[in-house]
Amino acid sequence: MELGSSILENISVAGDAAHISDKAFISLVQAACQGVLLEEHRNAVAENPAFKDTDKAILKEAYSGLVTLILEAAKHDSSEQNISSVLEDCKFTTDRISSFAKEFLPQKPHVQLLLGKISSSFPHIVDVDWRLDYYIKNNHLEKVNSAVYLISLKTEVPGSNDIQEVQFSCSLEQLQDLVGKLKDATKCMEKLTQG
Amino acid sequence: MLLVFEDSHKEHLSFLVGLEPEVLREFCKISMNFIRKGTNPKVFQGAAQKLGVSAESVQHGVEGLMYLLTESSKMMLNEIDFQDSIMTLGFDDDTRTTLLEVYLSQRKDIRDILNEVSMDLPHYHNLEWRFDVQLSSRSLRHQVSPSILLQLQTQEDGEKKTQMLQTDPVNLIHLTSVLEEALQEMKSGYCRRIVRNIK
Amino acid sequence: MEEVDRIIVHSLRSIGCDIEEDVQSLRQFSTELIVATVARCLKVISSDLELPSSLPPGMSARFRVGASLANHVQDLGYKGGDLGYQTFLYSNETEIRKIFMFLVEKLPKESSQTADEPLGASVLLHRAICTELSNQLSASWTPTFMKDRGIRSRSKPPGWQREGACCLQYYHSCPTRTPVGTANLSIKLPRETRSYYTSKLPYVTNQTRVHRDTAPSVLEANTLEVAVQQEWETEWNSVGLASRLTQQEFKRRKRERLLKLIRDRLQQDSQRQERGTGPSALNDLQQVMTSIEAQGKSGLSKTKGSRFAHTEKLQYAKDEEKTMAQMGTAAPQDTEEEQERKRQDEVDGLREELHKVTSDLEKLDLEVRKFTASQQQMDEVIMTEEKSAEEKKAAYTVKKRTLDLLPEAEANIGKLQAVVDSSAQRLVTLAKQWESHREPLIQQYRELRQLHSQRESEAEKKLEEIKVFRARMKESADEARRKEELQKQLVSEFERMTKDVNRSAYTRKILEIVANIKKQKQEIDKILVDTKSVQKEINSLSGKLDRTFTETDELVFKDAKRDESVKKAYRLLAALHENFESLIHTVEDTGVVTREIRDLEEQIESESSKKILSNLEKISEDLQQMKKENSGLIAKVKGK
Repeated sequence: MELGSSILENISVAGDAAHISDKAFISLVQAACQGVLLEEHRNAVAENPAFKDTDKAILKEAYSGLVTLILEAAKHDSSEQNISSVLEDCKFTTDRISSFAKEFLPQKPHVQLLLGKISSSFPHIVDVDWRLDYYIKNNHLEKVNSAVYLISLKTEVPGSNDIQEVQFSCSLEQLQDLVGKLKDATKCMEKLTQG
Repeated sequence: MLLVFEDSHKEHLSFLVGLEPEVLREFCKISMNFIRKGTNPKVFQGAAQKLGVSAESVQHGVEGLMYLLTESSKMMLNEIDFQDSIMTLGFDDDTRTTLLEVYLSQRKDIRDILNEVSMDLPHYHNLEWRFDVQLSSRSLRHQVSPSILLQLQTQEDGEKKTQMLQTDPVNLIHLTSVLEEALQEMKSGYCRRIVRNIK
Repeated sequence: MEEVDRIIVHSLRSIGCDIEEDVQSLRQFSTELIVATVARCLKVISSDLELPSSLPPGMSARFRVGASLANHVQDLGYKGGDLGYQTFLYSNETEIRKIFMFLVEKLPKESSQTADEPLGASVLLHRAICTELSNQLSASWTPTFMKDRGIRSRSKPPGWQREGACCLQYYHSCPTRTPVGTANLSIKLPRETRSYYTSKLPYVTNQTRVHRDTAPSVLEANTLEVAVQQEWETEWNSVGLASRLTQQEFKRRKRERLLKLIRDRLQQDSQRQERGTGPSALNDLQQVMTSIEAQGKSGLSKTKGSRFAHTEKLQYAKDEEKTMAQMGTAAPQDTEEEQERKRQDEVDGLREELHKVTSDLEKLDLEVRKFTASQQQMDEVIMTEEKSAEEKKAAYTVKKRTLDLLPEAEANIGKLQAVVDSSAQRLVTLAKQWESHREPLIQQYRELRQLHSQRESEAEKKLEEIKVFRARMKESADEARRKEELQKQLVSEFERMTKDVNRSAYTRKILEIVANIKKQKQEIDKILVDTKSVQKEINSLSGKLDRTFTETDELVFKDAKRDESVKKAYRLLAALHENFESLIHTVEDTGVVTREIRDLEEQIESESSKKILSNLEKISEDLQQMKKENSGLIAKVKGK
C-alpha cells in the first residue's frame, strides 16, 4: 500500500492528539467510514457535534487523510499489521492504532463491496423464460409440424435497473445442443469445486 | 387430399401429355433448375425449336410443371394423393410414373427451398462458453470472483449475429436446470399426444 | 509391538473406523471389530467394493463375508501366507497384525499428501478459487428482486457474491482538493487560503457531483501523487544527483528549460502563421473582425461606428500588418449601403495613407541602418588613422632625439649605453622579482586544482556508493518481505498440521531400533567368528588325536607281538580310545538334543499364542450352527 506524502501528512494530523482529541478521533473514523459508504452520510462530518471545537481546516485535512487510508487499505485488503505499520510511520500512538483498527476492520468488507462494484461487464444473465410452440404451417409451406422453443434470457446491464431481454428461437436439436453445452460448463465448475 | 387444378393449369399441363419420357424428364429437370435458381427464358426458345412448338406453350408447360411440383411438395402429398391428383389431367401411365418419381425424389429439396422463403425468427446457432475468475481490478486487489462468459451466435435469414453475455455460477446452474426442464417437457405425455394427433 | 499397535489403531481411527477409546492393542480386537475395520480399509483403498461393514448374524453369511474379505486382501497383493475365512473369524494376533500392517500401508496417501504439498502460489490460488466457488454454489438460486441490487449476502461462510450487473458503475474520477499544511507550523498559510479551507472547502466525500464517484476520485488523487513522487525520485536519482545541483536549483533549471522550449515553439508557429500558410486561421480572424465590426455598427451611430471600427482596425494593424493587407473588403451584411461605401472609401483612404506611412518608415529605417553602418566604418578608419599617426609621431621624436644628440655623439653613445645597460639590469631584476612572486602562486594554483579534482572524484565515488547502497537496501527489503511471507505460510501450515501423531517420538524410536539391530548384528558376527574358531580348534584337536592314536597304535602294535605287557597296554589304549570316542559322541548328542529342546519350546510358545483350543471350540460351535441353519433352510424349501 503506497500513500503519497501529502496524504501521510494528512493522516499524521489525524493522529496528532493536539489537534484531534481521542474521542473526536473515534467519531472521525466512524464518520469517515460512513461518509465513504453511504450517500446520505456524505456530509455528516460537517454536522457532527463531536467536532464542534475542532478547527475546521484541520478537521477537513484529517478527514481526507483518513478517507484515503480507508479506501487504500480496503483496495489492497491490508491486514491489521500492514495498517499498523503505516500508522506507526505517521506517528500514531498504539491506542489510536488499535481504535482505528477496531472501527475500520468490521467495515472493511463493506468498503470492499463498494470498490468491487466499480467495474464493467457484459449483460449479465439472471433469469430465463421459455415457451414451447408447435409450428404447424406457414403461407409457403404446409405440414411443417415441428416443435419450436422461444427462449428469452433476462439480462441486467450495468448502470440501469431494467432488465433487457435477449430472445431467440430453438428447434429441439438446437436446444439440446445448447443445454448440452451449458451442462458441460456446469460440470466443469462442479469438478473445480472438488479440487 | 387432392390438388384442384384450374382450367388454365390443365390447359398448360396438357402440353406435356403427348411427350416421350426422356423429353418429359428433361422438362422436369428444367423445372427443378428453375425452382432452384430462377427462370431462364432462353431455354424455352431452344426447347420450342427442338420440339417444333411455340415458345409460349413450352413456357406454359414448364410453369405448369413447376406449379404442380411446388404445390404437391407444399401440401406434402403422399403417393396416392399425388397420383389421384394428376389422374384428372389425362396423362398416360408412363408419364404419371415419371412425374411421381420426380416428385418423390425432389420433394425434400423443394421443401427446403420453400423453407428459405418463409419467415425466420432469429434462431440459435452456436454457444461458446468460458470460465473466468477475476482476481483483481483497478479498484480492488485480491478478489476471487468466478464468472462465465458466453458467446451466443444467432442466425436470422442467413445473417449471423454474435452477442457476448455473462453469468455467474448460481445463475448458470439455474439456467441449465430451467432449460433442461423445457427439454423434458417435449417428452411429456401431453406434448407427445399433440405431436401424434397433429399430422 | 505396542507402538505398532498404537500406530495401526490410530490410522484405522483416522480413516473412520469406529474403535473405542480404550482399545489400544490388537489383542483386544474382537471378531466383529476386525471384520468391520478390514471392510472399511478395503473400502477406503478401492472404493468400488461392496462389503458389509458389520458381521451379519447368520453363520453362512459370516462365512461368506470372511471368505470375500480374504479374497480381496489377497487380490491386493498380500503375500504373508494363506488367507481364508478363518483368519478373520477365528483370528490370531500375529496374523491379524501382519494383515493390518499390510492394509495400512496400502491406504491411499492422499490425505497425508495434501498436508505436505508445497504451498506454491498457483496451488494457493487454485485452492482459493475452489473454496470461493463451492461457497457460491452452496447458495440456491433467488430471483432478481430478492437481491440487494444484484448483491447477495451469505451468512455462512460470511461474505457476499455478485449475481447481477445492475449495481456496476464505471470508474469516473473528479479532481479533489484537500487542505495542505494546516497543522504545519513552519509554513505560513495566507489568510485567504486558511479562511477558504475553514469555511468554503467541502469535505472530501462531499466534493464529487455524484457520491459514487468519491472512491475513484480519492484513489486517483492518491495514485497520481504516488506516481509523481516516484517519477521525481527516479529522475533525481538518475540525472539529478549526477548534476550535483540542489533540488531547487535542478527544478528551477528544468522549468526554465521547458519554458524556453515552449516559447521557441510558439514563436516558430506564429512566424509560420505570419508567412500566410494558414488560410483557415486567417478565415477565423476575418470572422472575428467582421463580428466585431457588426457589433460596432449596430450599436453606435454612423460616424462613431466608423471611428470605432477605424480604431479597432488600426489596433489590429499594429499587431499583424500583413493580415490587414490580406483582409480585403470585410463586407458587413446588415447596414445601409451608402454608409458602407463611405466607410469603405474612408477605409481605403486611410489604408493608402497607412501604406504610404509604413513604406516611408521602412525607407527611413533602411537609411538609418545604412548610416549607422557607414558611421561604424568611419570610426574604424579614424582609429586606424590615429594609430598610424601616433606611430609616426613616436618615430619622429626618436629621430629628433638622435639628431639632437648627434653633435656629441660619443659621449651620448656612452651615456645611452649606460642607460641601456642600467635598463637591462632593471629588466633582469624585475624579471627575477616577478618569478619569485609567480612561483608560489602557481604552486597554490596547482594544489587547488588537484584538490578540486580529488574532491570531484570522491564525490563521484560517493555517488556510486550511494547508488549501490540504495540498490542493496531495496534488495534486502525485498528479501525481508519474502522471508516474512514464507514464515507466515510455514507457521500457518505448521498450525494446520495435526499434532496427535508424535512424529519425533517415532523417529527417535526407529533410530533406536536401528542402533539396536546394528549392535545385535555385531554381536552375532562376533559369535559366528567365535563359533568358527571353536570349530577349527575342534577339527585340529580331533585330527591331532587321530594322528597320535594311529601313531601310538602302530608303535604299541609293533611291540605287542613280542611282549605281553605291551599287549595289555595296547588293549587298554584301544579301550581308552573307544571310551573317549563314546564320550565325545554323547557330548555331541547332548548338544543336538538341547537344540531340539529349544526349538520345540519355541514352537510350543507360538502355537499356544494362536489360541487353538478356543478357536476349535468356536469352530465346532459355528459348525453346529451352520448345520442347524442348513436344516432349517432345507425344511423351509421343502415346506414351500
